[in-house]
Amino acid sequence: MTDIPVIETTRLSLRGPEPEDYPDFKATFTSYRARFMGGPLNAYEAWMLYAAEIGHWQIRGYGMWMIHDRQTDETYGMAGGWKPAKWPEPEIAWVIWPDRNGKGYALEATHAVRDYLYAQCGWDTAVSYIDPKNLDSIRLAERLGAVKDHEAATIDGNDAVYRHPTSEALSGTQLAHGIEMEIGHYADPLFKPKGWALD
Amino acid sequence: MTKIPTILTDRLVLREPEPQDFEAYAAFMADARSVMNGGPLDRPAAWGSFAREIGHWTLRGYGLMTLVDKASGAIAGQVGFWNPEGWLEVELGWRVFEGFEGKGLAFEAAVAVRDFAYDTLAWRPLISVIGPENDRSLRLAKRLGARLERDDWQTPAGKPALIYRHPSAGALANAREEAHA
Repeated sequence: MTDIPVIETTRLSLRGPEPEDYPDFKATFTSYRARFMGGPLNAYEAWMLYAAEIGHWQIRGYGMWMIHDRQTDETYGMAGGWKPAKWPEPEIAWVIWPDRNGKGYALEATHAVRDYLYAQCGWDTAVSYIDPKNLDSIRLAERLGAVKDHEAATIDGNDAVYRHPTSEALSGTQLAHGIEMEIGHYADPLFKPKGWALD
Repeated sequence: MTKIPTILTDRLVLREPEPQDFEAYAAFMADARSVMNGGPLDRPAAWGSFAREIGHWTLRGYGLMTLVDKASGAIAGQVGFWNPEGWLEVELGWRVFEGFEGKGLAFEAAVAVRDFAYDTLAWRPLISVIGPENDRSLRLAKRLGARLERDDWQTPAGKPALIYRHPSAGALANAREEAHA
């Protein structure tokens, strides 16, 4: 069995998916929120997908972490490395529960898992496969420094491929400082994000 | 949750699935004969199915076990418990891979895991969910003493299925006593 590492960030604790987190996963994946991720799923499909997320860790040695609040332990979503059999390349993926968005949790979690996958899992590049209608996710990919890669193979032609900056491009650069500053703003209790979430 | 240990029978080692079991699994699932056992699946679909079967263990504490043939070390099939959300109740299921059929290996393994479920986990009588045209599995269910309980259920994926009910621990013990009398 792969022992799934725990990643700690300013506000978050990222752990492997556990049985008791399933109801939160199910709530999102059976909802309209899952429309860009192959959903909404019925209960059986959601359970099977959650089982696959766990099996992915055992088979690949990496996978999707469950995002927990460090203080309260409640879950906010998932982020991590994802490469089921049909994927052309390993992906950095994320999902935030619909009532938890707009707080920068996806940015904070994804920034941390990307560092981990580069430093500990030997990744030298990474993509994110995003539904072109999923504007929130495209915006996040761009804040993470990812750029649309028109040459890269897609999963099935219905997804846009965003190529993440390499480990070198994130090491002590303006890009990395910008991401960390933005996470810092979100983590600041006085910070109020402008505008409102799209969904 | 009781974690199910490796179980030994005369000819088999029954253990939790491991990533290296995938090649034998994908080969079986690619074959048309797997149509009665959740197939046929191409390699990407088999990968997803295999990942789900591994995750089932974490979510339930039990699942389908890999059968390793003691003599050759080869993977002979799978036997174990299946109970995703939306299933009726815990099922005793089996798959026998090519080259290992007709030797009673599934029977041997199914008896061993059923005994474990009854004797160690104190489970109530199990069911088996079998496709109506899966003659081989229907024969095995009957050989295991299971009886048809209902024929009106569909799996959550929409496949028609027959529900066979296995004898209870007590009924099996009585049958064994009679056999020895």
